[in-house]
Amino acid sequence: MNKSGIGKIIYTEEQIQKKIAELAQVINRDYKGEKLIIIGVLKGSFYFVADLTRHLTMPVNIDFISIGSTPEDLNITGAIRFTRNVALNLTGQHVLLVEDVIGTGLTLGFICQHLETFEPASLKICTLLDNPAGRILTLPIDYSCFTMPDLFLVGYGLDYNEEYRNLRYIAEYRE
Amino acid sequence: MLITISRQTGSQGKEITELLAQKLNLPIITRDLVMSRWMPEIANQHELHMLTQSAGFFLSDSSQGITFADFLENKLKELVYQQSVIIFGLGAQIIFDDYTGALHVKIMASQEIRINRIMQTHCLEKKDAERFLDLTDRKHRRYISTIYGKDWSDPSLYHITLNTDNLSIDEAVSVLYYMAQNRQSLPSSQVDTLEKPTEKSVVFKHPSEEEFAAILDMHNIEWQYEPRTFPIEWDTEGNITQAFAPDFYLPRFDTYIELTTMDQRYVSQKKKKVQKLKKLYPGTNINIVFKKDFYSLAKRFGLGEDNNRK
Repeated sequence: MNKSGIGKIIYTEEQIQKKIAELAQVINRDYKGEKLIIIGVLKGSFYFVADLTRHLTMPVNIDFISIGSTPEDLNITGAIRFTRNVALNLTGQHVLLVEDVIGTGLTLGFICQHLETFEPASLKICTLLDNPAGRILTLPIDYSCFTMPDLFLVGYGLDYNEEYRNLRYIAEYRE
Repeated sequence: MLITISRQTGSQGKEITELLAQKLNLPIITRDLVMSRWMPEIANQHELHMLTQSAGFFLSDSSQGITFADFLENKLKELVYQQSVIIFGLGAQIIFDDYTGALHVKIMASQEIRINRIMQTHCLEKKDAERFLDLTDRKHRRYISTIYGKDWSDPSLYHITLNTDNLSIDEAVSVLYYMAQNRQSLPSSQVDTLEKPTEKSVVFKHPSEEEFAAILDMHNIEWQYEPRTFPIEWDTEGNITQAFAPDFYLPRFDTYIELTTMDQRYVSQKKKKVQKLKKLYPGTNINIVFKKDFYSLAKRFGLGEDNNRK
């Protein structure tokens, strides 16, 4: 793997795992005695989902969704589409949506609107990195590991041109 | 775009739907597709058989704890949310009765004409064609009344009813094609205008606002343009001396948005206005989209970049 663009390490593997374990304790407490459906947003969240869910103690079902658009569809109403939709039945279930990064909230808003049509018992949001300064939509973020610095980050699921996702840490990317 | 088509057997509804789909380049969702591709996700062989035999069985719980009718409804909604389609039957005119921009079509013909057509297409004697029609009509009615408690023949369920007694397939398709094209060319705000005469079409003050609205539209996020003006300064006599109208309001997220693609010196003025608004109207969610963030969004979604001032 080409690591030439990697800059300073922002969160080490140890910091990430410690934070996830702490967050999982809070989630375990909040959903004690309940079944929980975890929905990860591909691709960036898959390591986070994998590590987080292994700390959870309640019955857990896991699913993934993915959204995208084609260049020719842009500028058209409803152009952002699900390239992989949720397969589990969410009606009446407690759902936790897991993101890698929440920035403007537009993508998150799009996904939440969709998931709400299934009428889950509850829908909460969990993110590895939160960038509240860039928020456009007002959305309650229920669980967050780290605040996003004003840097381009790679690693632990985050990519630059599909590279660096498999780094165990999160680092700054410099072109 | 969503078109739902309900038809009587022998009305040529199937042929009209297929030609319309071809002209509009839209997929058709039929009962056959539902039974062969969707239902096997939750139904075993016995259940699939029962679903073909009994409308009431759609109300039974599947092994996933959801009724087959609800499963079908969810699948249809997911699909319609993602792409334009024509739905043939399946009670879609009821499932999507309040779906903005949908076109609900009923295709029918007189009993006599339908019997003649069935006699020809199925090579049946008249009495057998009558029995055939009686049976299929009852099945259609029963499915809608059992699952949705509605009368299939209720004209209020449809935007247009075509009687094909003296209407060719081409003529029927032309009418529907025109209606579909006409609906598609109307922005959602104008479709709403047809239903809510009090609302007006939007005239943006700046191209960047129009682009931002397009970004919201891409995400299916409902918006209102400058719906409210907040007084933020008054003179000693209580007259309003300064007011602030944020560019957008997003009802679903209870959020006001102010765009600032202008020079930096004006940005600080806007920031002060926003701070005042937040202080005077606590609990009001308002976010500023700064120049850099706006152009980053616009670039990401393939919109113009020549709007450098506002």
